[in-house]
Amino acid sequence: MEARPALSIQRSGAKQLSNLGASGALSSSLPVLPTSLEETYPKLPESQQVSLERELMTRPLAMHATPLPSSSGVVGHMFSSSSGFSTDLHYSSVSLHEKHSRKTPFISQSSTNGASLPLTHSSHSGMLQSPASNHFTKENNNASWCTDSLPGFLDFPVNTPVQNNQIESSSCSGVMASEDFGKRNDWQEWADQLITDDDTLNTNWNELLVDANVSDLEPKMEYQVPKISSNFPAHQPKVHPQIPAQSGEICTVVTSSSSANSAPGKPRMRWTPELHEAFVDAVNKLGGGERATPKGVLKLMKVEGLTIYHVKSHLQKYRTARYRPESSEGSSEKKSTPMEEMSSLDLKTGIEITEALRLQMEVQKRLHEQLEIQRKLQLRIEEQGRYLQMMFEKQCNSGTDKLKASSSTLESPSALSMDALQNSPDKSELEASQADSGKTGSDPVTASSTLEINLRNLGEKQKAPETEASEKLEPDVCVSSSQPTKRAREDEAAKSSAEPALN
Amino acid sequence: MKFGKRLKRQIDETLPGWRDKYLSYKELKKLVRLISAAPPMLSGSLEYGKAEAEFVCLLNNEIEKFNLFFMEQEEDFIIRHKELQQRIQRVIDIWGPNGIRSSETDYKEEMGKIRKDIVDFHGEMVLLENYSNINYTGLAKILKKYDKRTGGLLRLPFIQKVLQQPFFTTDLVSKLVKECESTIDAVFPIVEEESNRGEREAVTVAGEGIFRNTVAALLTMQEIRNGSSTYSHFSLPPLHLPDSDFIQSIQLNSPIPIL
Repeated sequence: MEARPALSIQRSGAKQLSNLGASGALSSSLPVLPTSLEETYPKLPESQQVSLERELMTRPLAMHATPLPSSSGVVGHMFSSSSGFSTDLHYSSVSLHEKHSRKTPFISQSSTNGASLPLTHSSHSGMLQSPASNHFTKENNNASWCTDSLPGFLDFPVNTPVQNNQIESSSCSGVMASEDFGKRNDWQEWADQLITDDDTLNTNWNELLVDANVSDLEPKMEYQVPKISSNFPAHQPKVHPQIPAQSGEICTVVTSSSSANSAPGKPRMRWTPELHEAFVDAVNKLGGGERATPKGVLKLMKVEGLTIYHVKSHLQKYRTARYRPESSEGSSEKKSTPMEEMSSLDLKTGIEITEALRLQMEVQKRLHEQLEIQRKLQLRIEEQGRYLQMMFEKQCNSGTDKLKASSSTLESPSALSMDALQNSPDKSELEASQADSGKTGSDPVTASSTLEINLRNLGEKQKAPETEASEKLEPDVCVSSSQPTKRAREDEAAKSSAEPALN
Repeated sequence: MKFGKRLKRQIDETLPGWRDKYLSYKELKKLVRLISAAPPMLSGSLEYGKAEAEFVCLLNNEIEKFNLFFMEQEEDFIIRHKELQQRIQRVIDIWGPNGIRSSETDYKEEMGKIRKDIVDFHGEMVLLENYSNINYTGLAKILKKYDKRTGGLLRLPFIQKVLQQPFFTTDLVSKLVKECESTIDAVFPIVEEESNRGEREAVTVAGEGIFRNTVAALLTMQEIRNGSSTYSHFSLPPLHLPDSDFIQSIQLNSPIPIL
């Protein structure tokens, strides 16, 4: 319940920001925020559930807003620009932070899984993922208020509040999108302007970073530098009039933080070989990697949800991958084979090099094999844990008299569900996440008592399928004989640890 | 040995650009210690919820870090995979038996260059899979520790989310690894005399190459699986490598890479 007022204030705050026209209104409304939020803060545990629902409602809105690729970026701007004049705003976002970030993975989960298209998937998960990398550049502005506002915050890395800052702005974009629908046209226009501004800033950052890693700065810089200088002056004047009542000082804040915001703020996407194929086709049609422009590639690819950011950074990677080996194929090729590796293996002849590579390959194959096996095992074990939990919740609901019956049928369904996992891991995991997103919000007290009984009652039955499964999976895996006793101890541990919770 | 130490060793052995991308196990452990050192808290109480939220928040940041890095690498692999295939095709088209300028020496020379690249590429991808797995293991370990120390029940629901994170879905990378293997088998068939070259002498791997890294990863994996001090039904059975003698025979002569 408490979360509602907090959030509605947040909303109105966002609204103010979106209208940005009057900075006076902005600053007058803001001081209200920190106090009211601090009141809600201590009551967190109760309010979390409510806020989760709340979030789930706002979040989808944010999702819908993303098809305009610009939305999150633009909101990022608004937020960061306002940070120039009011620190109160940041405070508010910090105290909301726990609720936001805490729920993030769960929310991103359910929404991610719901989307079967890889593209939509990445576009929203991106909004939540992006913040993490954000902190590099934003650190400086945020460091001070973060520690002040959260005394109990131990010695956390500075990036945590920033994340929430971003998440918040993404949820705001949902609010705005729904409220500002009428204005969308000129909003879009403005967004486009800002986006192009972002673009250049963005790539500059990216390219500098990438190049520093790869250490072939020179060829890249040659064409990057003129780009920077031509675009910078052109865009800045456009940006400034949009955000009224700005002092010179704020301008710098806007530019610096906007580059920080938009670089990771762009929705992340996961490239696939198919998508890359389309990309390469487009690049080739445009005369190759050096001549193709992100804009042109984007147009040719015609992939929904794909933005100029994605294409830009992908093109960057493509150029690096493509032209590096070409240039190193000649003289530097010999240099690139690490001296120490070669000499220590005492390789002098071609046959020995071949032999060394074969050996390397053999070890790599082995590691791959073992990782695959281990992964399958882990998935099964987790699946089993999840299954037990689900069974148990069912039992709790249906009452104790049914407990016996269902636990006796445990063996076959668990085998079944394992097969399901193997055939379509995504599907069964989806169910898991849906079931869990509700579960996690539930009262920890019931949850703990749940697991305790769960372990005690099902511990016996559980051994059988697990042993069977792992033996089937990998012949050379031996299941420890000490398992039953250890598990019994674990049960005790779970029981005793759950007890303080129950009291 | 403790997991934290193993992870640290693994990080020391990793490729330079990867070092800060692993789980900050130490930080998390510190936080768990702080939370559990505080006076016993009632589950569901104010402080408890706050502490747990902090812990979860830190975990989420770590996951974001993994996802970001993993997806960047994956994107890069997609590109390089395609480029390598094209490079091989080009060589075959030009110098191959039916090529426009068919020449066995040129063909062999060019393929020799590619061989090194493709083996390294394979290695990098496998190492990314290892990255994925070791971070998952780390998360599971720290969550287990958290639950044990605080009496919380975070592990089960949290790990379910982890399983669906981009960094844990390695299907594509795995597919690329397999394609890479079949390419190598097809393009570089095992010559009789090579395969008959008897037993291997102990090999020492120095530097911080991919090879060294792979060996280290295998050894770590074996160690981790060798048993936990707190065995539970989430624990994996010990790992028995089919030819562990062979792996053991490859010694990592120095934990500190000589640059």
